[in-house]
Amino acid sequence: MSGADGLETAVEDGCAIGLVDAARDARGLEQVRGLLKASGLGLDADVELFATARDASGRLLACLGLAGDVVKCAASAPEVRGEGVTARLMQRILDEASDRGRTHLFAFTRPGNRAILEGLGFHALAVTDDAVLLENTPFGLSSYVAGLARLRRPGRRIGGVVLNANPFTFGHRYLVERAASECDALHVFVVGEDASAFDAATRLRLVRDGIAGLDLGEQVVVHPGSRYIVSRATFPNYFLAREDARASAAAGLDLQLFRTAIAPALGITDRFVGTEPLSPVTAAYNAEMRWWLAEAPLDAPPIAVHEVARLEVDGEAVSASRVRQGLASGDLDAVARLVPGPTLAHLRSLVSPGHRR
Amino acid sequence: MRIEVDAVAGTLESSDALVRVSPAEELRIEVTSTVEAQFGAEIRRTVAEQLDRLGVTEGLISVQDKGALDFVIRARVQGAVLRGAQARPDWRKL
Repeated sequence: MSGADGLETAVEDGCAIGLVDAARDARGLEQVRGLLKASGLGLDADVELFATARDASGRLLACLGLAGDVVKCAASAPEVRGEGVTARLMQRILDEASDRGRTHLFAFTRPGNRAILEGLGFHALAVTDDAVLLENTPFGLSSYVAGLARLRRPGRRIGGVVLNANPFTFGHRYLVERAASECDALHVFVVGEDASAFDAATRLRLVRDGIAGLDLGEQVVVHPGSRYIVSRATFPNYFLAREDARASAAAGLDLQLFRTAIAPALGITDRFVGTEPLSPVTAAYNAEMRWWLAEAPLDAPPIAVHEVARLEVDGEAVSASRVRQGLASGDLDAVARLVPGPTLAHLRSLVSPGHRR
Repeated sequence: MRIEVDAVAGTLESSDALVRVSPAEELRIEVTSTVEAQFGAEIRRTVAEQLDRLGVTEGLISVQDKGALDFVIRARVQGAVLRGAQARPDWRKL
């Protein structure tokens, strides 16, 4: 045992590990919010529970949050900084996650916490100046990348597109068509999180069916999303409304993973993205894309970034949000001009008489 | 024994080990240890022997060792594998 462990134990002996259920324990959550704020952190809305360490008087000393399969929102009072308390909090989080059937976990935290988490079985996936993303297995990313590599397509110019497609529109189809026309092969990734109006399986199906109409055959490969591409783990801000500074840190992790792991597995040389006049988070993502994919000094070949101007219909850019608005107001005739047949058929099934909201 | 689902056994406490297993078509073993320099090779041998005794030929096995004694490592590997195999073993025979 090192001397540092001995000191840590003295602090640990005085603290009790407990839980704060974010949905039920309003008082506990306020204390957690205070501790996070003192560490310069915000409380993310998607955190379901916190493991907490308290002293004998019940004062909150440290916390660690779990949101789905992502461990985040770690903070501690100055007197307890060290691996001992974090290890006990992490153990509690691992147990709670395991009870919920989640054994493959990610951690999203400040780079300063990296060494502690590596000591607790986590492996770093990507690092920026502000954030580090880790996972608790040495096999996760490498297995995913090995699976992708089996879907490689021959060619010199290989394109990549990432779509949420919520739902798939003529705008998405135009982007895919343009990208495919410039490449020997194109890999299309459909965001896998079930955080959108349309669930992941439906979005994937509508992308596949919508692209089939272009008759591009083997040239285009549509991939279901994964934890490693625009997920709550790699890009939390896409799914949370948060301040700009955090948006920037989180997009860097996602883009770094794309350039250093996903693109090399498939030989992707070019990434295509629609211009973004409406969503500020997506617009910030596009701006960062150029830096992380094409310019940042990383241990992977640069990827050319192409912004494709949005397709316009009736003098206005086609977007999934415009489709959702049309759908909400029941104007299916307007929607029909924005989406391919398979998407329209699906939307019609949603608003069939008797089911109109 | 075949690993069918993700499973975990053990803790990150000092003198324990956390073992995670996942289904796969190949056998891969990763060990990290706080006593890597002194006992890394021995720990790997212990893990490999226990997997062999359990007849595990496929799966992703990750061992996070916090200075556990070898019988603890064997027990944690066995616990994770039995959970991962969704086995209901006859404990008297193990």
